[in-house]
Amino acid sequence: MRECLSIHVGQAGVQIGDACWELYCLEHGIHPDGFLLNSKKDQLGVAKMEHKDASFDTFFCETRAGKHVPRTLFIDLEPTVIDGIRTGKYRSLFHPEHLINGKEDAANNYARGHYSLGSEIIDLVLERIRKLAEQCSGLQGFLIFRSLGGGTGSGFTSLLMEQLSVQYGRKTKLEFSVYPAPRISTAIVEPYNSILTTHFTLEHSDCTFMVDNEALYDICHHKLGVERPSYTIINRLISQAVSSITASLRFEGSLNVDLNEFQTNLVPYPRIHFPMTAFAPIISADSAYHKDFSVSDITTACFEFSNQLVKCDPRLGKYMACCLLYRGDVVPKDVNAAIAAMKSRNSIQFVDWCPTGFKVGINSQPPTVMPGGEMAKVQQAVCMLSNTTAVVEAWARLDHKFDLMYAKRAFLHWYIKEGMEEDEFLEAREDLAALEKDYEEVAQSS
Amino acid sequence: MSDTLTPEVIGRRVDVNGERATVLFYGSVPPVAGLWLGVEWDNPERGKHDGSHEGTVYFKCSHPTGGSFIRPNKVNFGVDFLTAVENRYVLKDGPEEDGKEQIVKIANRPVETIGFDSIRKQQSQLSTLQEISLRKCAICRAGDKGAIAKACPNVREVDLSANLLSAWGEVVDIADQLRHLEVLNLRDNRLRFPAAGSPPAAAAFPALKVLVLSRTGVTWAEVLRCAEGWPALEELYLESNGLSISERPADVLQMVKLLDLSHNQLIDENQLFLIAYLPRLEQLILCNTGISSLHFPDAGMGCKTSMFPALQNLVVNDNRISQWSSINELDKLQSLRSLSCRRNPLTEGNGEQTAYRFIIAKIGQLQTLNKCQILPEDRRGAELEYRKAFGNEWKKAGGHQDPDKNRPSEEFLAAHPRYQALCLKYGAPEDGELKTQQPCLLKNQLLALRIKYPNHLDQKVLEKQLPDSMTIQKVKGLLSRLLRVPVSDLLLSYESPKMPGREIELENDQQSLQFYSVESGDCLLVRW
Repeated sequence: MRECLSIHVGQAGVQIGDACWELYCLEHGIHPDGFLLNSKKDQLGVAKMEHKDASFDTFFCETRAGKHVPRTLFIDLEPTVIDGIRTGKYRSLFHPEHLINGKEDAANNYARGHYSLGSEIIDLVLERIRKLAEQCSGLQGFLIFRSLGGGTGSGFTSLLMEQLSVQYGRKTKLEFSVYPAPRISTAIVEPYNSILTTHFTLEHSDCTFMVDNEALYDICHHKLGVERPSYTIINRLISQAVSSITASLRFEGSLNVDLNEFQTNLVPYPRIHFPMTAFAPIISADSAYHKDFSVSDITTACFEFSNQLVKCDPRLGKYMACCLLYRGDVVPKDVNAAIAAMKSRNSIQFVDWCPTGFKVGINSQPPTVMPGGEMAKVQQAVCMLSNTTAVVEAWARLDHKFDLMYAKRAFLHWYIKEGMEEDEFLEAREDLAALEKDYEEVAQSS
Repeated sequence: MSDTLTPEVIGRRVDVNGERATVLFYGSVPPVAGLWLGVEWDNPERGKHDGSHEGTVYFKCSHPTGGSFIRPNKVNFGVDFLTAVENRYVLKDGPEEDGKEQIVKIANRPVETIGFDSIRKQQSQLSTLQEISLRKCAICRAGDKGAIAKACPNVREVDLSANLLSAWGEVVDIADQLRHLEVLNLRDNRLRFPAAGSPPAAAAFPALKVLVLSRTGVTWAEVLRCAEGWPALEELYLESNGLSISERPADVLQMVKLLDLSHNQLIDENQLFLIAYLPRLEQLILCNTGISSLHFPDAGMGCKTSMFPALQNLVVNDNRISQWSSINELDKLQSLRSLSCRRNPLTEGNGEQTAYRFIIAKIGQLQTLNKCQILPEDRRGAELEYRKAFGNEWKKAGGHQDPDKNRPSEEFLAAHPRYQALCLKYGAPEDGELKTQQPCLLKNQLLALRIKYPNHLDQKVLEKQLPDSMTIQKVKGLLSRLLRVPVSDLLLSYESPKMPGREIELENDQQSLQFYSVESGDCLLVRW
């Protein structure tokens, strides 16, 4: 019951998926070939999991042979990244039909991902999704991982989301999007791709968790001491955040136990669905046990700018909703003490019209880390999801860059060549301008 | 209460409003009536004096403001283990359970706790608890024998940091009842360890894999004495104990994979030899110790040492390493794959990035430096840069591109043990590579050329300096003015002493002298 399908689109989505499923397997005690580790034998010394906490049924499908197959789909328009999964450590974990690739990539072009190349592969993808959905007794919804700036991540995802809304109307769709970093660019046309895809998927997505590379680089640099983080390290950080967000879906807990609750708890209006994520503590493996962190310490850390996974200053905005999910050995007494200590913080401002405030939950499953990784294992951790108006800063930045390029019609011909029209750009830009206005309105005192 | 205190209270650890201290004195302090406790605070500035009052010395503190006198009833002597567990995890029938829970507000918004009741119920089942954190719970003793084993026997991980445990014996009593204990954190408990010559430790820790004894004041000798009771220990954290390694671990600590000795400033490089033969040691963390160099004298240059045979990850941040010889020595380690060497005098300052690349070049099998993976192209770039940077020195020390004549001095080889290997891999550095770059002054770009006229041998040979970017057309223009011959009649070519007998035509007027590789010392031939 209550199964969730994870769909990973594009290079970013697929690589994040790789890190996430690796972490899920460690947390649930599943061996890379899909079989549960026998907790008595413990051959590999990986975390022993009590078989009774088997809510991982939401994410894994058990075959008759006892193998646990992830309920997931990996999609990319070019073969390299997916071939990496097919030959990597977890190649026996995924069903071969769940790894789909095309032949030619989208070349950072939304139009190629959406129109030319995407349309060739969409039918196959939808068919596979249909098969996965049929295996579920009560499908809750979809978790979609992608980047906003790439070609496949932006173009193909918008096509896919539209089709999912048509075919699976009432199912929740949560997104995990990699937002283009403010000062570090991997592709020059990121603003175009991001704005086009945001406009298209705005009405189809129920909640979008954003992360950006720059915030992650800074966290790696300052907290983990890694000066030049590779994508591997960053994806592991993201997977920790994703694991915290989905912990209640996979283990026993009370907060956010199904996908609908995310919407109920975090989204006041359908368009205002971009919460920010922060989690603590992030400690380097070399400094394990060098400092101790109380529940109060990690709670305060969540509200600091440096622990956010998106570069937006929450002090400049107002909160509309906030969820705090504690993981590990945390007792209600500690949480109450931590919250009481937070009472006097003046920097937290809420909007006038919203009666709800904080929702706090505890999940007793302790956080796990990749053995040999850069992060130290901790006994208690907290993940904060907050819907704040400060996120409009991210959209304003992107819109500004879009305007600069669009004013000169720079790079536009790549999109026109693949069948798009300038109208679509204008429409998308207007939609984002309206979104910014919505945020402003929401922040105003009534 | 004060009437039940006896002189045995001396040595116990106490807590006063969150600050911990050790009791060093119990008795009266005239002229004030009543009984006092003399304590030494963990925080050396918390107290008022060093144990003496009005001239009389009651007890000794190591810090002038480290001690105080306190009334016994103001002090918390602590509770036993099980009471602390129950305080933390068990549902209490208290005023907050009568349904009128206080709603806490942050920024005028209510904080709604979801599912706390079921968490409380779940955690109350003490026998199911596996990982418990009892940090700062004022635990001073194990309590009644067998009580812990009965109540929560399945505990695998316990965090006992910052409690009031005062003796190792108490820890043994607790651990004895937790047969599955794998991780024990005793950070920040000032423990008294058994003295030398006491009976050997019982096997109280059969399954213990991770032990944290940071900030406990333990000495190395005490660690080794107790280590007999830790047969399966894999990770040992001993930071901030002010300890120095005093003896070799003879039969103990043989399964240890990770050893953290950070923030012990008395450790120096010679003490490392004493732990060099731990067979399974894979990770050694030595941040902020007194190390100023590293050497492995049992192996010569280019050979592998038998010390630290399994060591894969070495962390030496924040030390005083200042010589490149230490990095050369690290190449002798057999299994070293990962090194962190930040904030040492060797790598500080402007040359930091170059220093990191030299470290990559000097340690051949290194795969990760400062937590950044070394990709094959990074390694190639670093090694080529290193080879070029020391090429001139190598030549001066007797190195030569011709392998028969290549005999660099011992001194050079000692300073650069991998240099020969790099020359074998990439070839010896060419002289052209080693030329230091001349600054871009105009005079460095001028070619000194001789101009000859083969068909008119009576004309004098000219010597001229021309910039290499000058086009042939302009050269012809210059010559035409000199010789009073129209430009279209001139035919230019050049010959070089490097290529005797060959003449190269300069046919394309639009190209420059540099295009035709004309060099200083060449001879321009003009015909018309």
